[in-house]
Amino acid sequence: MQKINRNVVLALLSLTSLVFLLFQLCYYKFYLSQKNGAAFSKVRGSQSGQDSTRWHVVRKFLGLISSHNIPVYLIDPLILGLVDKDIEQIRSSPDGPSPECKYFCAPRDFTTFALLDKTWKHEVGLFRTAEKMGFQWLKIINKDPRLDGMDDLSGMEIPLHYIFKLASHAIHLVVFYERSGNFLWHGPLRLKQHMDRKFVPFRKLHFGRYPGAYEKPDLLLVSIDDLKVQIPKNPSSFLEEMSHSRFLECRYREARAFFQLYPDDSSLDAVEFRKKAKSLLHLAALTLNNLGVKFWLSSGTCLGWYRQCNVIPHSKDVDLGIFIRDYKADIIPAFQKAGLPLKHKFGKVEDSLELSFQGEDDVKLDIFFFYEEDDHIWNGGTQAKSGKKFKYLFPKFTLCWTEFVELKVHVPCETLQYVEANYGLEWKVPVKTWDWKSSPSNVQDNGVWPVDEWDDVIQIY
Amino acid sequence: MDEWKPNPAVKPHKKRSWYLAWKYKLMNQRALRKLCQTGAVLFLLVTVIVNIKLILDTRRAAYEEEEESAQDYDDEMLNVEVPRHPVNNKKVLDVEVYSSRSKVYVAVDGTTVLEDEAREQGRGIHVIVLNQATGHVMAKRVFDTYSPHEDEAMVLFLNMVARGRILIFTIKDEGSFHLKETAKNVLKSLGSQVAPFLSWRDMWTFVGKKGGEVYGEKHAKSPALSTWGDPVLLKTEVHLTSVEDAECHWPDTELNRRRKRFCSKVEGYGSVCSCKDPTPIEFNPDPLKDNKVFDVPVAVIAGNRPNYLYRMLRSLLSAQGVNPQMITVFIDGYYEEPMDVVELFGLSGIQHTPISIKNARVSQHYKASLTATFNLFPDAKFAVVLEEDLDISVDFFSFLSQSIHLLEEDESLYCISAWNDQGYEHTAEDPSLLYRVETMPGLGWVLRKSLYKDELEPKWPTPEKLWDWDMWMRMPEQRKGRECIIPDISRSYHFGIVGLNMNGYFHEAYFKKHKFNTVPNVQLKNVESLRKDNYETEIHRLLGEAEVLDHSKNPCEDSFVPDTEGRVYVMFIRMEQEADFTTWTQLAKCLHIWDLDVRGNHKGLWRLFRKKNHFLVVGVPASPYSSKKPSSVTPIYMEPPAKEEGAVAVPAVAAAEQT
Repeated sequence: MQKINRNVVLALLSLTSLVFLLFQLCYYKFYLSQKNGAAFSKVRGSQSGQDSTRWHVVRKFLGLISSHNIPVYLIDPLILGLVDKDIEQIRSSPDGPSPECKYFCAPRDFTTFALLDKTWKHEVGLFRTAEKMGFQWLKIINKDPRLDGMDDLSGMEIPLHYIFKLASHAIHLVVFYERSGNFLWHGPLRLKQHMDRKFVPFRKLHFGRYPGAYEKPDLLLVSIDDLKVQIPKNPSSFLEEMSHSRFLECRYREARAFFQLYPDDSSLDAVEFRKKAKSLLHLAALTLNNLGVKFWLSSGTCLGWYRQCNVIPHSKDVDLGIFIRDYKADIIPAFQKAGLPLKHKFGKVEDSLELSFQGEDDVKLDIFFFYEEDDHIWNGGTQAKSGKKFKYLFPKFTLCWTEFVELKVHVPCETLQYVEANYGLEWKVPVKTWDWKSSPSNVQDNGVWPVDEWDDVIQIY
Repeated sequence: MDEWKPNPAVKPHKKRSWYLAWKYKLMNQRALRKLCQTGAVLFLLVTVIVNIKLILDTRRAAYEEEEESAQDYDDEMLNVEVPRHPVNNKKVLDVEVYSSRSKVYVAVDGTTVLEDEAREQGRGIHVIVLNQATGHVMAKRVFDTYSPHEDEAMVLFLNMVARGRILIFTIKDEGSFHLKETAKNVLKSLGSQVAPFLSWRDMWTFVGKKGGEVYGEKHAKSPALSTWGDPVLLKTEVHLTSVEDAECHWPDTELNRRRKRFCSKVEGYGSVCSCKDPTPIEFNPDPLKDNKVFDVPVAVIAGNRPNYLYRMLRSLLSAQGVNPQMITVFIDGYYEEPMDVVELFGLSGIQHTPISIKNARVSQHYKASLTATFNLFPDAKFAVVLEEDLDISVDFFSFLSQSIHLLEEDESLYCISAWNDQGYEHTAEDPSLLYRVETMPGLGWVLRKSLYKDELEPKWPTPEKLWDWDMWMRMPEQRKGRECIIPDISRSYHFGIVGLNMNGYFHEAYFKKHKFNTVPNVQLKNVESLRKDNYETEIHRLLGEAEVLDHSKNPCEDSFVPDTEGRVYVMFIRMEQEADFTTWTQLAKCLHIWDLDVRGNHKGLWRLFRKKNHFLVVGVPASPYSSKKPSSVTPIYMEPPAKEEGAVAVPAVAAAEQT
């Protein structure tokens, strides 16, 4: 009896464990499909319930906004990605009925649209209609960054994001604002204390983790899945732009604190220098943007942005950084054409390249080329009279957009590390005497140029 | 798992026989068998436990993910909503009112709602309006009834207060000198026994309900001309009514919600809060055809004069071609009531922490407002700058729309202004006529962004400099010889009589009789001739056709100009060099136009109207137009009456215009 019992128990246990294993597999599969639906339920020609819900929600939303004359455009990366594959066909047949729901039925939690703030009145009527149609909505407001840089102004908070939820689908409406520097800006999505954290899975939103900066898009009215909707004319370039859109606001509060400690220089000379530096920076940005060369604020100009949100009046020049991989031979002629003659050229493309252009009245434009290594980035310096080489080391960084003197420009996202590498931990203290060969905390001797190369690597005009 | 148990009961038989056969065949050792079995059991148990754990883990992970999902998006700052007024459910209010020469205060339920003991300020009758249901302060006003016309303003205000509101009055210093019969009668009708007999330096307090009972009144007579009445302190109780009785029942629309919010908070805006027939708060004026200023931002510079702001915004929103979305009201200070007015009209408002004092504070407010305007509307090439004490002409935007291209194209222009400093009732005539002037009138003007960003903003006077922004803008270092375009008949009207540099006397002398255009859609006739070179041609043409007046007569006399209409006359005055305005100032004085500093000149030439004739004044020999003077004519010279007057008056009051 004991033996049988034992065997029965054994069999029972093995069965139970088998069942558990099966159950777990099912559970895991279910969990996975919930997490990224795309993996398991591929888009089919026929619309399953879930798929058509999405389409219906989008249709209802488009109806809602068109009834209030609000011009929105589609910026959903998932749908734009699908649209981009068929862009030629969609462009050529703007009105053709579509046989299947190809785009708006694609599995996803959100559909993202953009709205230009200046194109609509902030009317309450919209939300009342939305409620009548069955939408639940959430509005995320925050401070207006366009007033942030100003001493002690407090405006009304501005709407940055709206979320409209119906059934299992939600529409994320991102509000874009025009900023000085001729670009569009959207804010980060931050929930206030009392807000419903589970209104939608916020983490899956494509916009809102960081603020973003975009060019003003050209729009195209298309009909996809029998819905008329505006999309960026060139979806692929929009998607590309989106992947590098992170925006950093200047640290206005810290800048104000800085000016409390070190009052701003408002002498006529300082005013004049700032004016010249600003116009030089505008000219440089225009020239480089036309060439399609990516650049960022470097050295003193970057420090000025980070520390005081302005040009440092005693800095005497404008400094830009460019990755050597973005170097183009056209840079020099382009600047010369723009009225900025080459002042000197140090180094060569393979090593320590540095260009300097002469702006109006002694204001110099320095362009440093940056070389990427495995664990750091560096740029070079050359002393003209001795042929000595120097190397300035920086930790690796990525580029973010910012607004500076009415310009949309890049700065290193990891600005603090960048500035600290260059100026040391004492960067907060203004220094008027600066020796580029010894003052920077990241400078290293890098040997001497061979004398036979001097003619090439040390060119002074 | 329970239901699975009975089912497998059958299986083990088969399994057992197969298992046993195999077991017995291979090895018969009991101990080993037992070990194997135990091992198997243990192994299975472990599998089960691991499985259960796994399931639990997955579940928790999924749950946590959901929890966390919003974490990145949390606002780091804690936004605690602070109620703007304390809520009070009491049925009876204790009210204390104090009146004396140097101090007044009003306390409601122990909370001081008014306290004024500043020197040289707050003279006159202080009025406070309380909500009869909540006891909240809805309006606070002071009427300096020692000065003229302030009593009229008070009557106007009291008439606008809704029936049933609680009114509190108290006098500081002096409140009877210009308190006329009408005003006394209004106070009497409110139930005051003393008001009709209020006299020089009496102290007085009064609490009553409009159109209802009197809660208390106290009075102290001044014993002699040189002394004040004794301070009086009135303590009384006020019974509150229900909220229902204190509100109107308008249909529920978006506009009426705004109205309701406004009317339950503030008082003194008259028919906008009338229950029966409220005045509209949306105006929908006719749009302008081909409106070139539709996208130009409008900055309204305001302080704490909410009733002025109300009047100003009404006229602004009624002007043809207005675009409410482009309007931003900048309030200097964290005042609630001006913001309430802004919200009533559905506009956007920005508050500014006051920096510095007096003129410098105004100047800093201007700078912040202008910078913010160009930040908020980065596309704008211009901004319209208005102040809270201006009426805006119905064709204000039409006037700008027709002239703004000049500001864009003509580098020699500094601004376009809606205000003609010399455009009084008796000196302005032609709504379609524009001038070029070397002065910057302000009071409703258009600023070019490039001028502001490149020149003015970087060197704007810093807070420690107690300068007037407009005086600074008029300085040659800033103006650099550029000129402004102005209309003959002003498109704005300066109605403010209280302000930093403003009082009743001053307003009456210099602003009250200013001409203000009320004709819609005026077609401007000489826009192209306003360009730099064209204007010279135009002036020469005008001077060519002008008849020279009889210089032997007194130019101050009416008979100096013949009784004609529509003619062009010219007179020549002495003006030794560019900055010699001796005769002009005397002439301006006797013509009753702006004489506190020189305004409205263009190369030593002034243009105005007298008796409906165009009247030109040329300064000889400083003006380049002197050559037009016939050799027989001797320029008129007028001597200043007393030597200090001119010298003192200019710096003292020149600033006054800016309020």
